[in-house]
Amino acid sequence: MIFEERQIEKNNFSSRAILLFGLIILSLLAVLIKVFSLQVSGYSDYQLAALKNKNYAVPVQSLRGEIFDRNGKVLVKNEPTFDLITRPNLISDIDSFLEEIEPVIFLSQTEKNRYKKLQKEKAFVNKELVLKKDLSDEEIARFYVRSFNFQNAFIAKRYRRISDYPQIFSHVLGYTSRTDDAYKSMPEIPRNNWKDAELSYAHGLIRGRTGLEEVYDKYLSGVHGQRVFEMNAMGQLVKSLSFFEPVKGSDLYTTLDVEAQQSAAKYLGDRRGAVVAIDLESGGINVLYSSPAYSINQLSNGMSDIEFQNLINDPDKPFFNRALQGRYPPASTIKPAIGMYGLSKDIVSWDFEMKDPGFFTLPETGRVFRGWLKGGHGKVDMHKAFLVSSNTYFFSLAYQADILELSNHLSNLGFGQKVCLDCFDEDQAFVPTPEWKYSTMNAGWVKGDTVNLGVGQGYLVATPMQLANYASLLATKGQFIEPSLVILGNKKKSLKIWQDDGFDDLDWAKMHTALLGVIESDFGTARSIRDLKEFQVAGKSGTAELVSLDSKEAYLEIRTSELLRDHSIIIVFGPMPNPRYAVSVVIENGESGGAVAGPVAIEVLNSLINE
Amino acid sequence: MNKPFQKIYFDPYIFFSLILLSILGLFFLFSASNANISIVSQQFAYVIAGFIIMVLVSQPDPDIFRRMSGLFLIFSLLLLGITYLFGPEINGAQRWIRIGYVSFQSSELLKLAVPLFLASFLFDKKLPIQRKEIFISLVIIFCCFFFVFRQPDLGTALIIACSGLFVLFLSGLSWSFMGGSLILLIISSPFIWNILLHPFQRQRIATFFNPELDPFGASWNIIQSKVAIGSGGLLGKGFGEGSQTQLNFLPETETDFIFSVIGEEFGFLGVLLLLSIYLFLLLRCFYLALSARDRFCRLVIGGLSLTFAANLIINLSMVVGLLPVVGMPLPFISKGGSSLMSLFLAFGIIVSMGTHKKFLPQ
Repeated sequence: MIFEERQIEKNNFSSRAILLFGLIILSLLAVLIKVFSLQVSGYSDYQLAALKNKNYAVPVQSLRGEIFDRNGKVLVKNEPTFDLITRPNLISDIDSFLEEIEPVIFLSQTEKNRYKKLQKEKAFVNKELVLKKDLSDEEIARFYVRSFNFQNAFIAKRYRRISDYPQIFSHVLGYTSRTDDAYKSMPEIPRNNWKDAELSYAHGLIRGRTGLEEVYDKYLSGVHGQRVFEMNAMGQLVKSLSFFEPVKGSDLYTTLDVEAQQSAAKYLGDRRGAVVAIDLESGGINVLYSSPAYSINQLSNGMSDIEFQNLINDPDKPFFNRALQGRYPPASTIKPAIGMYGLSKDIVSWDFEMKDPGFFTLPETGRVFRGWLKGGHGKVDMHKAFLVSSNTYFFSLAYQADILELSNHLSNLGFGQKVCLDCFDEDQAFVPTPEWKYSTMNAGWVKGDTVNLGVGQGYLVATPMQLANYASLLATKGQFIEPSLVILGNKKKSLKIWQDDGFDDLDWAKMHTALLGVIESDFGTARSIRDLKEFQVAGKSGTAELVSLDSKEAYLEIRTSELLRDHSIIIVFGPMPNPRYAVSVVIENGESGGAVAGPVAIEVLNSLINE
Repeated sequence: MNKPFQKIYFDPYIFFSLILLSILGLFFLFSASNANISIVSQQFAYVIAGFIIMVLVSQPDPDIFRRMSGLFLIFSLLLLGITYLFGPEINGAQRWIRIGYVSFQSSELLKLAVPLFLASFLFDKKLPIQRKEIFISLVIIFCCFFFVFRQPDLGTALIIACSGLFVLFLSGLSWSFMGGSLILLIISSPFIWNILLHPFQRQRIATFFNPELDPFGASWNIIQSKVAIGSGGLLGKGFGEGSQTQLNFLPETETDFIFSVIGEEFGFLGVLLLLSIYLFLLLRCFYLALSARDRFCRLVIGGLSLTFAANLIINLSMVVGLLPVVGMPLPFISKGGSSLMSLFLAFGIIVSMGTHKKFLPQ
């Protein structure tokens, strides 16, 4: 090549090289800008992403608060048990480890198999594994003597939820059980991490399922703590980075009373029924008992399938909370309410008298409604009508009632309403109206329906809770406090007031005298319980008919079948004249109200008053 | 100059920047390998051997390289053939050849042989280059590209193609020809996508454009790489303190993704320092190319240094998420003997081409 040509070639090369090297420099600049955008502009996002990669947070379970009665007796507590926990990553030969630990701790074949199955997986990720739950005292002692041999295992305290009165408080306290929803309480911990939670309870992550355990679950459960591990890409825990202690749940101080609840259980015995008692000063519920009951200790801490199936299939339905969900016709216990209605609407007065022939004939159809005493009670006024529980009197009063007004009146007394502030799954039972009958039965309301209502039969049903609430309304002359099981922070609940212009203080006084007479006078239907106590008690008993019968013969026949026998019901309050407690008792198929339910109510009052 | 046999051909700028890069590389590798001494000491041995090779290769006159270039190309292709016939299959690819205790990637040699041969083929041709010469060059480039591509090793194949095309471009390929080729490439791209690319290569490209499609599968690498670099911030988390690196969230920390380790542990300032050294090295090569004694030397220095630059930029762009994932080490830093040897060999040739001067005939 000649010189000029070489010069041209060199210039050509230079310009092309400048172009390519320029492109290279631009590319390096692009990389640098990208790195800048990652490291400087996007720093906080990527730093968070890196932390999310490596930080593995697990919850540390908090202990639930304990539950006390009104005298400070523990109803539910946390009882420690001891579990043997291993660190599988420190166990090199699993068979020789099990061989070594066998003389110390008894292991069943299934326990060994389960352990062998999980050991490798847990060892790989450096997580802990329970070898044996609920160690005996001997096992614990043997382990501690030899603990220097077992650097790869330790004993940890795990609690159980235990009540010293597991049977009698089962419905009101309720039970706890394992939950899959615990993760919702701490959204900052990913749901998947909850499987590695550090547990405080042997039974795992638990929550209240029924009763107070459920209603006050948030209050009782406290705040879970948190431990953050550093985790690598294979999911292995490398080390513990931080620990926040859990906060134990608050203790729950209830208004329940152990002695009174025990009396209720004792005197109800193995009969089906319920008892509710209310402290009129505070509205606090002292007794809430349903029979038959079951053991909350077993339910909260593990029960075999067979035991559970037996409870479920028991014809007496032990899980059914009769105190809050049992629907019973109030029978004669409704008569004070009907009387209040008649007086306030001026249908009757205390002086009004009528003849009771033992039955009432409906003028429109000629249908006959019978009283409980053949031949009747003769001349009755309202006072006597309460004492002897004259059906005819109240049939005729109800006959003159306006059903809409009467339904409304009953609702104002708490029927057909939830009346307890903090009861679990309370049924609001039922007050019938013409509209309801028309829409469900496709039939019009007839006078006979109202007449039946007058003696608490027919469509009207109430729960023992509602009856106790009604009893406290009667006891306090309409100025009562809403019932509840817990009074948080010593807050006085406001008064619930029932009043009516047609029903004044004088009417209340006469009403109390009449209801006192039901038990304390020589003519009262519940006079048989008069001598069971040393104070005076007012009340009203009732016998709820399950089958409507027209003849005495048919009635006697029916009595042979236990499940068709009448329910025995009573409401009482005392000690008179300044009542402190109101009690309702229902005994299924117990027949005569005063004689059967009465003694139970009196014994409960006895233990409440004589404390 | 009077005593040419007593002179050692040596470029201090290149030499010291390579020493700096190698020291930093060992340092980074120590952290990236979770303080694995045996990996670092092996790499150290490679570095020492590399420097010796570089200095030795710098000594012969460029004319010797020119005359040997044909033989060198045939030798390289022969090794490739042996790899194809006898090489073990690792992860579905045949890339390695084993001689005694030493195993290396035969394709690495082609990165040198192709530009050397094309430079010696084109250095005395008249400007502009004729069609016949272009055709011969393209056939050689395509054959070498294709053999390596079939291993399969897309990354190295692309680098080999680039190395040849750089020489062709620098030697004066006409602009109109290049324009035409570009149009042809765009038209044929669907064909390349569907028929030539392996499914895993297609998937890499797909996840590059849409990494959130599959965060735990194919795009895991690139997401974790970005997180590592981004979380390093301005100053980095400190030597051995990068959680992405040390807890193994970052893949391939010792090889392709070692830049992410540097980004995480030394931050933006560390990246800036590293890129400055690379830039300095490239600018020195650029200077040597412009001041080289003849057209052959210019083409070789230009071709080799641009190949080195392309290698660097592809790796960087890949780990920061500007390009799809292709297997490509970070030059002088990533673990691996073969690529390190071929790099030192290349810089030995560059130094030889840049430091041998010839007086022009008056």
